[in-house]
Amino acid sequence: MRCSLSIVLALTWLVLGTRSTDAASPPSLTVFAAADLTFAFREIAPRFEQATGARVTLVFGSTGNFAQQIRQGGPADVFFAADQSFVDALAAEGVLLRETRTLYAQGRIVLATARAFGPKLTDLRSLLDSRVRHVAIANPVHAPYGRAAEQALRKAGIWEALRPKLVFGENIRHTLQFVQTGAAEAGIVALSVANVPDVDSVSIDAAMHAPLDQAAAVVRRSARPELGLAFIQFVNGPEGRPIMKRYGFMLPGEF
Amino acid sequence: MDSFPVWLSLRVALSATALTLLTGVPTAWLLARKRFPGRNALEAVVVLPLVLPPTVLGYYLLVVIGYRGPIGRVLAAIGLELAFTPAAAVLAACVGSIALVIKSAQAGFETVDRQLEQAARTLGRSEWGVFWSVTLPLAWRSVLAGTVLAFCRALGEFGITLMVAGNIPGRTQTLPLAIYDRVQANQMGEANALALVAVGIVVVLLFGLSRLARLRY
Repeated sequence: MRCSLSIVLALTWLVLGTRSTDAASPPSLTVFAAADLTFAFREIAPRFEQATGARVTLVFGSTGNFAQQIRQGGPADVFFAADQSFVDALAAEGVLLRETRTLYAQGRIVLATARAFGPKLTDLRSLLDSRVRHVAIANPVHAPYGRAAEQALRKAGIWEALRPKLVFGENIRHTLQFVQTGAAEAGIVALSVANVPDVDSVSIDAAMHAPLDQAAAVVRRSARPELGLAFIQFVNGPEGRPIMKRYGFMLPGEF
Repeated sequence: MDSFPVWLSLRVALSATALTLLTGVPTAWLLARKRFPGRNALEAVVVLPLVLPPTVLGYYLLVVIGYRGPIGRVLAAIGLELAFTPAAAVLAACVGSIALVIKSAQAGFETVDRQLEQAARTLGRSEWGVFWSVTLPLAWRSVLAGTVLAFCRALGEFGITLMVAGNIPGRTQTLPLAIYDRVQANQMGEANALALVAVGIVVVLLFGLSRLARLRY
């Protein structure tokens, strides 16, 4: 019994007893970024590291989750939201530094078809085809790309007719997975994540939905606000822009 | 393959299991043996983590332990930050898994014949002695079953961890979060490898435990 108690204490120590000791190593930057930036930022971050000598930790996830976490002290230095409204709300609360707020991109949506399905859909109205049994979009209640998808479908006049076929993803990557696995024959996803095997896609006219303005800002609690701002500028700078463009974002000054 | 999430998860799950045992077994004993005001409320609270959606539970927890929350502020005053640390992952795993220990152990304790405990008392054992020499040895299979379930649940804990510990690679990204991240990033090879490791850990653990149980009894 003594022995089991000491085992228990030893196990507890396993986690609680180890404090990270990375105090003096190169300056590190933690970036909370919306899931649609996954592929682009995986390419941009190493270049930023090379240019500045800083170490970048990328955390990808849902913009809504990140907003809650940053509000509660989440260890982000910079926040790249998929929707500017989150950045504006946090800036108004004083959690983000208002003066660092930057519009970094505009998102585009595409009509994606599972390759397994056969015919490549090129027109929103073709979603009504009875062979298309499920259409994946991000949840329009809280996901910006989902909202844009709903607007586009409404503008095409097929939202009501399509409703029984719709399945909602939690975020844009999740939505894409529905199409990638063929579980949904088609879907509306972000251009920035659509370039994967198993999926064909065609752009949806940007006039079909309200602009998907995406903003970033530095977190007030950040220990290195200047480094965070440098990262935002890097994304919008000569090194970041071509990469962002390649992944299908429209950039400031172009829209 | 990045092995950090594997080691972190093992440590988190082991620590969480130890902590749930330390707190869950006494709670189970209380629920099985004592009548006290608020007992029914406690029984309900214990299973709440199994009912609420993990991310929502995580959000509530974050509001409490975040740097502006009631507990977070107290901790901050003594220079500690709990949210978004590995310790927060341990807390998340505890919250997610403790009901499994408590309910199993409670059921085990309830089936122990009280006359045997009574007999031990007449022979001069203290309450503490009765527990260790009669109640626990007779209920150990239930406690072990609950512990195994709790460990597996702790190892697989996702939603609460995502909210309170974040999903920070190299710091708080546990095995389930790492697998999810790889799937999200379309790195299916690495996701599959990590998933295989998670399965492997549990298979080895269960195999070892059943061997151990047979050796001993």
